[in-house]
Amino acid sequence: MSLIKEFSKGIWKENAVFKLLLGMCPLLAVTTSAENGLGMGFASTFVLVCSNIVVAMLRKLIPSKVRIPAFIIIIATFVTVVQLCMEAWVYGLYQSLGIFIPLIVVNCLILGRAEAFASKRPVLDAAVDGMGMGLGFTLALFILGAVREIFGSGALLGVDLFGASYQPMLLMILPPGAFISLGLLLAAMNKFEARKS
Amino acid sequence: MKDMSRLLITLTLIAAGAGLILSMVETLTREPIKEQRRLQMLKALSAVLPEYDNSPDTDIVSLENGVDKKGKPIQVTFYRARKESQLVGTAFKVVAPDGYSGNIEVMVGVKPDQSVNAIEILSHAETPGLGDKITQPWFKDLFKGKSLDNADWRVKKDGGEFDQITGATISPRAIVGAVKKGLEFYRKNQQKILAEGGQQ
Repeated sequence: MSLIKEFSKGIWKENAVFKLLLGMCPLLAVTTSAENGLGMGFASTFVLVCSNIVVAMLRKLIPSKVRIPAFIIIIATFVTVVQLCMEAWVYGLYQSLGIFIPLIVVNCLILGRAEAFASKRPVLDAAVDGMGMGLGFTLALFILGAVREIFGSGALLGVDLFGASYQPMLLMILPPGAFISLGLLLAAMNKFEARKS
Repeated sequence: MKDMSRLLITLTLIAAGAGLILSMVETLTREPIKEQRRLQMLKALSAVLPEYDNSPDTDIVSLENGVDKKGKPIQVTFYRARKESQLVGTAFKVVAPDGYSGNIEVMVGVKPDQSVNAIEILSHAETPGLGDKITQPWFKDLFKGKSLDNADWRVKKDGGEFDQITGATISPRAIVGAVKKGLEFYRKNQQKILAEGGQQ
């Protein structure tokens, strides 16, 4: 029961992006399309689950004085694994995410979960937490990417939606569009939550 | 002191473990990555070269073209395409340093008569929706059949004959300039480039 709770909290109640506002750098930078958002989300989820598991496994061995460097080494290892695998097997996505794959290392969401959760809990809890948090992050990236792609290029996942006569709102693809759409999304969610309670 | 050595040992062990994992993954992915890069290269080459039946990515000649900012010589690699061992085209990469944001890398395919067969944009960071229209076919097709002798290598705004893109003159201007320079270098060195053998 509690495992389900650990999993689902990452999707909505403690969603990394919508509730904690963590991981903004990759969020704002790569969500120019829904596909990029999904790719970034799954890559981060993989890193998050793996690092959570390893941190939880080693939590009794790592002295607290050096825990941060130890966590960073673990996270960086998995990020490099992801980067190599993406370059080897999904080259197109690797090219469109570019510099933001290695930058997963500094995604504060991942270090945050290692420090706040995985270093204090058993392995299974940590794995489930990483999975939930990662999928919540992926969901947020996908929604923002989809919104920006629909308005900014008139397409979703590369499929044209409105036909050739649609004049795309260029602004949405450019960096300011990320801030504007994230702000509006957050506002809409807060409104929805406020009404519910 | 005892505490200190424990910290050191733990960190060392973790780093060693990380190194081990990474070296394993690297071994596993080395070949696929090499293959991906080669495929990418071949895709760009077949986009700019006429039909060929050799493998241009190994039939190459490298020449020096000036020096970069650090004084190192810049190597330009020419990929030669042949059909029934007749040379049908040569491809080389030019870099336009004066794009709107960052370098634009362009692969240029040249026919033996020194006219452009086709160009392909390899990488760029131009503004989405404006400058990035340089990757659209209509823009790349502007270069087909153009050579130093039959075209005025400037964008229309500067009095030449290449259409610029509405709202983005800088990117096309950079590409036109870079391709022109590439063609001039090709003309100057054509004998060396087409010399038999070369570096295999």
